[in-house]
Amino acid sequence: MTLTDDELVARSMGGDAESFNQLILRWERPIYALAYRVIGREEDARDVCQETFLRAFRALPGFKGQAKFSSWLYRIALNLCRDWIRRQRRAPVMQMPEGVDPGELAAESGPVESIEDLVGRRQLSAVVERAMALLPEEQRTAIILKEYHGMTFQEIADMQGCPLSTVKTRLYQGLTVLRRQLEKNGQMTPQLVKRS
Amino acid sequence: MSETFTCGDHGALVSYLYDECAPNERRAISAHVAICRECAEELTSLGATREQLATWTPPEAQLGFRIVSDSPSSTVLRPSRWWQKPMPAWAQAAAAALIFATGVTLGALRGVTSPSDHGPTGSVPQQADATTPAASTTSVTKADLAALEQRLRSELSQVRSTSSTVSTSNTSDTAAAGPGDARIIERVRALIQDSEQRQQRELALRTAEVVRDFDAQRKDDLSRIERTMGQMDGTTGVEVAQQRQMLNYLMRVSQRGQ
Repeated sequence: MTLTDDELVARSMGGDAESFNQLILRWERPIYALAYRVIGREEDARDVCQETFLRAFRALPGFKGQAKFSSWLYRIALNLCRDWIRRQRRAPVMQMPEGVDPGELAAESGPVESIEDLVGRRQLSAVVERAMALLPEEQRTAIILKEYHGMTFQEIADMQGCPLSTVKTRLYQGLTVLRRQLEKNGQMTPQLVKRS
Repeated sequence: MSETFTCGDHGALVSYLYDECAPNERRAISAHVAICRECAEELTSLGATREQLATWTPPEAQLGFRIVSDSPSSTVLRPSRWWQKPMPAWAQAAAAALIFATGVTLGALRGVTSPSDHGPTGSVPQQADATTPAASTTSVTKADLAALEQRLRSELSQVRSTSSTVSTSNTSDTAAAGPGDARIIERVRALIQDSEQRQQRELALRTAEVVRDFDAQRKDDLSRIERTMGQMDGTTGVEVAQQRQMLNYLMRVSQRGQ
């Protein structure tokens, strides 16, 4: 039987560490993905992910359940990412595609995908990653939360501590800058954009 | 929400793009987009940008964090196995250097150890010393080499006989193995096959990358050559023109002299 987050949280608060380990198993990948996309470094993203769960476990007695457990985790992770960015005091350095193991990438992909497609997808992913690194932190975070974590405008507004209209503006501005960057890198062809 | 939509309302466009607006607002924007080419293009290009964003995937990471203590105040969060952590590049380099240095040191120590330090079964230098007691440790005689060759031949023949015995017993073991063992063997074979396929795929991927890089480099070189040739053509043309002028001048001067 699969327990809900709320049930696992309740058990964890009762002292059942194994229930919290199940929560970790459920949420560590999304939290790691969020941290990686925000700060752009694999090792540091792992550290942020680990620290997020450590803080959550320590703060669990104070968790009132007013927000979803996942939202609470995301908020902790984002705060840690912000701290990391402040410490770095510079734009995040994105890892180059050389860091990606093509063998693993090939193993993950389905057999229907050709080598050419695979190479193209990898290059495109690297271009998107570089373009995202150029965005200001608030715009980048808003896009990441919306695109990759499916949050609503209101959830992002709560997470970022800003009005809902600001979230929409950040998304619009971020997407516009990204579009220009991708066009500059030849990733957005006129056919794709369908300009008439 | 408003029943009308005005051009330049980016917030409303974003709501429409992410399908997060009220039905009446959606209707109003749809009606506007149908007649406003600029807003329609804006929406299309923003949608295309979103499609590109879907290609960005973070690298795989070994996580597996676990709480290892029941007490929240004294908890330590660690990955489940330390050896599952990816080793940083500097640590790998340090380990490789350490192993290399150890090997070199051991090799050097073996080279300088006196013959009396070797055991009764002995190593190659000791065998050489046994056959040619008068020979020094640094010089190698024909007798040493012959003894070494003989020893290597005998060891090789022993190894061959052992491996043939092992392979024979393996075959008989496989034949006598139960259904559980057969499944394991099949599984191992499947794993090996998967690994080979993965390696082939990786090779093909790298080859494709090399071909692509090579092609790009070739194009770049060709364009550079064309530019250089164009410059040379220009330079040559100027020189020819100058020579013609000089010849004309000489002709005129010589005609005047006559």
